[in-house]
Amino acid sequence: MEAASIKAGTPKGRRSRGTSERRLAAYMVSPSLLLIALVAAYPIGYAVWLSLHEYSVRVAGLSRWAGLDNYSTALSDPEFWDAVQNTFIFTAGSVTFEVIIGMGMALAMHSAFRGQGLLRTVVLVPWAVLTVVTAMMWRTIFDPTLGLVNSILGTDIVWLGESPHAMIVMIIADVWKTAPFMALLLLAGLQVIPGEIYEAAKVDGATMWQRFSRITLPLLMPALLVALIFRTLDALRIFDLPFVLTKGTHGTNTLSLEAYQTFTANNIIGLGAALAVLTFIIVMAVSFLYIRFVGGNIRGLAEE
Amino acid sequence: MATPAVGATEPVTTTAAPKTAKTKKPPGQKPPWWLWFAIAAIVVFCLAPFYWLINVSLKTGPDLSGSAIVPPNPTLDNYQSVFQNDDFIRALLNSAIVSLTTTFLALLVGSFCAYALARLKFPMKFALLALVLSITTFPPIAIATPVFKLWSDIGLFNTLPGLIIPYLTFALPLAIYILVSFFKEIPKDLEEAALVDGATRFQAFYKIVIPLAAPGLATAGILTFISAWNEFLFAVTLTSTPDARTVPAAIAFFTGSTEFEEPLGTISAASIIISIPLILLVLLFQKRIVAGLTAGAVKG
Amino acid sequence: MSKRFLFLLCAALACAVLVAACGDDGDGGGGGAGTEETGSTEGVKAVDPASMEGATGEVTYCSGKDTSGDLKETIAEFNEANPDLKVTLVEFPEDAQQQHDQFVQRQKAKSGDCDGFEEDVVWTAEFASQKWLLDMSDYIETRKDDFIPSTLETVTFDGKVFGAPRASDAGMMYYRTDQVKEFPATWQALYEQAAANDGLVYQGSAYEGLTVDFLEYAFAAGGTVLSEDGTKSTINSEENIGALQFMADGIKNGAAPKAVTTMTEEPARRTWEAGKATFMRNWSYCYALSQKAPNVKGKFAVAPYPEYEGGGKAAVLGGHNMVISAYSENPGGTLKFIDYATSPERIAKNASKYSKTPTIGAAFDDPAVKKAMPFAEALREGVENAKSRPVSPVYPQISEAIFKNVNAALSGSTTPEEALKQADSDINEALATF
Repeated sequence: MEAASIKAGTPKGRRSRGTSERRLAAYMVSPSLLLIALVAAYPIGYAVWLSLHEYSVRVAGLSRWAGLDNYSTALSDPEFWDAVQNTFIFTAGSVTFEVIIGMGMALAMHSAFRGQGLLRTVVLVPWAVLTVVTAMMWRTIFDPTLGLVNSILGTDIVWLGESPHAMIVMIIADVWKTAPFMALLLLAGLQVIPGEIYEAAKVDGATMWQRFSRITLPLLMPALLVALIFRTLDALRIFDLPFVLTKGTHGTNTLSLEAYQTFTANNIIGLGAALAVLTFIIVMAVSFLYIRFVGGNIRGLAEE
Repeated sequence: MATPAVGATEPVTTTAAPKTAKTKKPPGQKPPWWLWFAIAAIVVFCLAPFYWLINVSLKTGPDLSGSAIVPPNPTLDNYQSVFQNDDFIRALLNSAIVSLTTTFLALLVGSFCAYALARLKFPMKFALLALVLSITTFPPIAIATPVFKLWSDIGLFNTLPGLIIPYLTFALPLAIYILVSFFKEIPKDLEEAALVDGATRFQAFYKIVIPLAAPGLATAGILTFISAWNEFLFAVTLTSTPDARTVPAAIAFFTGSTEFEEPLGTISAASIIISIPLILLVLLFQKRIVAGLTAGAVKG
Repeated sequence: MSKRFLFLLCAALACAVLVAACGDDGDGGGGGAGTEETGSTEGVKAVDPASMEGATGEVTYCSGKDTSGDLKETIAEFNEANPDLKVTLVEFPEDAQQQHDQFVQRQKAKSGDCDGFEEDVVWTAEFASQKWLLDMSDYIETRKDDFIPSTLETVTFDGKVFGAPRASDAGMMYYRTDQVKEFPATWQALYEQAAANDGLVYQGSAYEGLTVDFLEYAFAAGGTVLSEDGTKSTINSEENIGALQFMADGIKNGAAPKAVTTMTEEPARRTWEAGKATFMRNWSYCYALSQKAPNVKGKFAVAPYPEYEGGGKAAVLGGHNMVISAYSENPGGTLKFIDYATSPERIAKNASKYSKTPTIGAAFDDPAVKKAMPFAEALREGVENAKSRPVSPVYPQISEAIFKNVNAALSGSTTPEEALKQADSDINEALATF
């Protein structure tokens, strides 16, 4: 049974099946679409609507049409661009380290030895701890006077009170928490690379690095890309971590935090909604770029 | 491999000797020394902060103000007070119900959608896939308030279904993605054969495809379960009483004796308690993944 | 392919927006534009004290988690004494911001979920200007002399009274009696002593607590935040710059450890209880807790703040007020509950049994209270002399303008002059919010 031969066996020209297939497809797809419309599309539509108005903070019930004013306010605010920069720095930093460490974890977990199952469970421990608790935990570990890090290093750096230290702590906390997620996805990808390929390569005299870069990496690429795109989109929307660690001070203000501060804490609804929509657009743009340059696979997924 | 798939599996059918699809070192060859070092590093990396959490959970009172690595007066008081807290027990139950239901439904709904995407012909597939992916781009902040308003209007506020529905929706992208790639890797001729034998498409779906995609389902299942279990923002926004509150929201209610006190001890104890079922589940599930993978190899 | 998708996405979005627009019945009054309002609380409904008579039914009181238990006891006793009314407590999370957001969320949805709410003292202007509260002026008029005047300031906005103060709080200076022979008479002297010993810890993190701490220095130095009529920022003044410089220098010369720039109430308390500080600025709740800490037990005392050289004494008021939601379906019942919960006897009991700071002067004279809170006198002085934080519907933004810039000056990333200049412009921008 060769995969190649399966392709040839696809029945073509069964036109009568076309409509019943479409109908079945409609049934199977509709629950998802319904949920998406309700829980995702409606709120975004609502947010866009809100962003086109200004709602008075001082006087109840007063609102006025703002058109794109909120957007121009947001886009000309240096704080907004700071948040954009911080968000991208965070994303780049944490995703990079997650990939590296996650890959290492996956490779180690993949090697056969006793206790492998236990190791896999250990690796998922960080992922199992609540994000909010993780943040609290790292905050106490990096406490300037009573924290573990300062007592080990013998310094008194105020980690969360300086930039770029605060960002570094945030990246460490995020990497700790989500490298296991990477590892799990990469491990699943590694598990199905047939062993003979490596054997054959060893016979041909390939070094370990060559085996990794010529065999493992390419075959792992699909799984890696899925993991990358999801992690990137998550990182761009990060909220819990900076909220608990620094409340967005010292160079850790992210887009989501900025939107929250404006929309909820300061009650400036129109502008806050615009910020949320801008966040959405930015994240959307990044995902488009991914699909365009990196994910020809996505098209392949949708192909028959 | 003909189909460039985004997915975790390459066709496991290419090998004649299925057992070796899983890379195993021939018996008798010991793992290299640096592997042990790497493993030790991984264990320390993953467990050290967790140990710190355990450390804090065994401290009470003034000890919490200290930075001792080993609790000077270890006590189970925090755990006791957590278990005596009825609201917390209730929250555990709620979390279990919500997470399990979400996972089950996400796999159900997601696999339907994934199958349609992977196998059936219909227009605008790419648009649908992109739409599903775009859900992961939504900032939760933007979603929470409108959903709160909607739920208040139709009476789903402070109910478990009120949580399950959003969780389910946000679990779909990853679940669908993983499942689509697993489905695509399953050879079509199995279903074709079934269709020839008179089965409907749908029967082919749940009798043939689903069992073969077990590892994908397991992976998607674990990840969905964990995110539903850990979710915080909606849990706090969409519930108001212990009846519907899940554990992350309940922890936000943990208090000391005054409004400013941050009871690190009980929070840590609670976190350990709720991490344990997750860890156990993972321990169970990951055997399933491996079994599923090798099973797939054999069947192919 | 992607062009088609883009088009479809825009179409889908447009549809979603239309649906949302149809469903939008006014998040703060979305549909109707241009309602002419002059005074921001014009037309606010008032609750009639007479409606307390014969009130029946249910009342839901929303509050942050009742950690001390006094609220639960109050409710239980009230329910027993009033069989026709039933008050239930709905608790919100610990965190003040979350309490704020939970209440605001319900008010935006015009839900009668909360009949009454336990608000933080700084939220009155914000809530009142959104017309989310009932006017309680008539009721308070009947008992004006009960309450300490500074606490009434926190429930007054636009000439009307919107709540009843239930618990107050003022910061105090905790100090180690084994290191400090004589409590210093001025802030300057205090800082000198701190530098010579183990330092002063306070709330210097970029959050509301820093606004409080900074204003304690600023008010004492004679500075202000807003002009008399509340329309302009006055924060960029000599007095304020001097106060901020004083604080920043304190960190530089070691009177306060650099770590204060990330401290909130709890980290400061923890450092203090670990015996690592000579002075601590914190609220009254720390007293009982510190008595249990082996490193400081029996070795400390509390005092009201010293004088600021060239200025005077000042403290900033904290605490909680009871307010009634404009969407309540049982305002009479809610008012009756509030009346009970803020009665002098009840307030005194909260103090003697639960160490809640009284809002009623008479309670401080109660012998049981004096016995339970040995620092009652210091506390009373603090409360009576305390000033409110700026009263404004845009208080959250004003506070952010203050704490962000003050924190930047304290951590050394800008100078006090620049910080207050920026704060000045930020505040004016906030005051210009639509």
